[in-house]
Amino acid sequence: MSSAVQFYLAGVLVVAGVTIIASWGLDLQLGTTGVLNFGFVVFQAAGAYTTGVLTMGPASEHPGLSYIAGAHLPFIPALLAGTAVGGLVAVPIGLLGLRRLRADYQAIVFLVVSLIATDVVDNTRGFMNGAAGLSLVPQPFVSLLPVSPTGYLWAYSVITFVLVLVVWLVLRRVTESPLGRALRATREQEEAAAALGKNVNALRLLVFVIGGALAGLSGGLYVGYLGAWAPSGWLYPETFVFVTVIIVGGRGNKLGVLLGALIVPAFGEVSQFLPNSSSALFSGAIQWMFVGALLLVFLWWRPRGVIPEARRTFPAPASLPGIASRGISSATPGKQKFEGVSSE
Amino acid sequence: MNAAVEALGFGIVTASILALASVGFTLQFGITNIFNLAFANVMGLAAFAAYSLDTWTNDIWLAVVVAVFVGAAVSLIVNRLLLQPFIRRGQGAFGMIIVTFAISLLIQYATVLVWGDGQVSYTIQQGVGGKRLLGFVFTPAQLVIVGGAVIAMGSMHLLLRHTKLGKAMRATAVNPALAGNCGIRTKRVVDVAWAVSGALAGAAGIAFGLDTASFSAYTHQGLLVLIVAAAVLGGIGQPYGAMAGALVIGISVELSALWINSAYNDVIAFAILGVILLVRPRGLFGGTFSTQEMSA
Repeated sequence: MSSAVQFYLAGVLVVAGVTIIASWGLDLQLGTTGVLNFGFVVFQAAGAYTTGVLTMGPASEHPGLSYIAGAHLPFIPALLAGTAVGGLVAVPIGLLGLRRLRADYQAIVFLVVSLIATDVVDNTRGFMNGAAGLSLVPQPFVSLLPVSPTGYLWAYSVITFVLVLVVWLVLRRVTESPLGRALRATREQEEAAAALGKNVNALRLLVFVIGGALAGLSGGLYVGYLGAWAPSGWLYPETFVFVTVIIVGGRGNKLGVLLGALIVPAFGEVSQFLPNSSSALFSGAIQWMFVGALLLVFLWWRPRGVIPEARRTFPAPASLPGIASRGISSATPGKQKFEGVSSE
Repeated sequence: MNAAVEALGFGIVTASILALASVGFTLQFGITNIFNLAFANVMGLAAFAAYSLDTWTNDIWLAVVVAVFVGAAVSLIVNRLLLQPFIRRGQGAFGMIIVTFAISLLIQYATVLVWGDGQVSYTIQQGVGGKRLLGFVFTPAQLVIVGGAVIAMGSMHLLLRHTKLGKAMRATAVNPALAGNCGIRTKRVVDVAWAVSGALAGAAGIAFGLDTASFSAYTHQGLLVLIVAAAVLGGIGQPYGAMAGALVIGISVELSALWINSAYNDVIAFAILGVILLVRPRGLFGGTFSTQEMSA
């Protein structure tokens, strides 16, 4: 493979890894728990800005830029800080939005938060360099990894996918556990979950924070790859790219979402090969129309995605002594399956 | 003091545009329970259709008619061909928001493809012939906007309160099944509601274009926060609430520009929205569609 193709592929891999982590974070909220966070990209931006400034050094070293909290941290602590900030920012926003409101009402609140956040960062130059955004973010691990640009990018994509694996393992602990059951119960039947003693508001806030942290992590990884970050890159429609990934892949299913994260950007790439694609305006517009069309097509023909969430079934207890003693017995004890919580 | 009066004048104009838009927005929600994220894009599309006609015929009044007509037609088509089929398929509130977002992308970027992303303006002269009225100075365009909004709001009131169609709309908003059983043709009522709200979107679209002097394919999208804030402030789904909400949001946004950077307009609107959501999530007003339960 020529070096240019390799460079392209490695870059695609990095972006795919970033998209997978972010989409999993959103899917935990949207797919598993039913929290419609339409401001998700804000948390990715929080992580990206944090990781960026913490590795760039003080603003005085960059005459053209003005930002706060500059430091010369190594990449790993900066990435962890970005993850933490993503989670921390989620607390006040979650407390505001996750009140006892209808789910679509909540969604609008988060959407508005997203619009406002870009607005404020855009217009506050001293905060994160305003509309121009951060640039000159140093490449992570540049002294440790291969010197050639292509080799470096391959190594960075490997690091990204190691983190994808770590996130997968962590998320499994969340979703395939009693906690995960409680989350799905919250999604399916809020009242029933509450009646069983689950604090649904606390559960929602929890996934809001975990999802925010994952968004922050993805943002930190992304800014390490891009070297720059500006408000025009995290406008609110970006959240819907992740939503599209989840709808296409299969909400509530991690493997599905992973596939979605590979499929949706591939559709975007296709538009590059259309005639007239030399115009950035044209190909950008076509890419967004692809996203819109993909959403409609999947919501109509395959609303549960490429790999739908598994229907969960639970074996009945072998004997039901409390019930049997009262003279009521199940027809086929032990074999009957109880339908568990399932989507829709 | 003078600056404050001037800002109040701007506020009245902004409130008029917002009133047109947020009454349309809230009507869609009231009748069909759809939070239409594509609303501002319909406004933009109508504004551009009017722009094309205006540059061609040089007749701004014809352009206004076209904007209203295009808004109504697009809105009706979107509802008939996309939204209602998805609802019949059992798509929940969650799915419907995503559907309207997908539609907003399609309309937004279709507009960009046709008209590009440059700044355009209508042919009428901006900022000339200011007239002094009640201490405020309005341009003729602004007078038309305010007058048009007042007439539109008055017509909405007459429609909802004094016609059989309005009664049918209110009945459908409160309980579609019951309304249907009473012999109201709810499908047609929904169609009319979407056409009316689309017409309001078109009117708001061209009004915003006239007021801002120049606009691009992305400009109208920026109004979404203010529209949502006005509608939610008044109690989403309630036309009279939206009118009041538009007045409060429009004026406070312009007045606040006296003290803080007007780039933070949306932040003011959002602060009001945030306070409302914290203290009174169902909005300030009961009204036409007030039996709807808004906070679960």
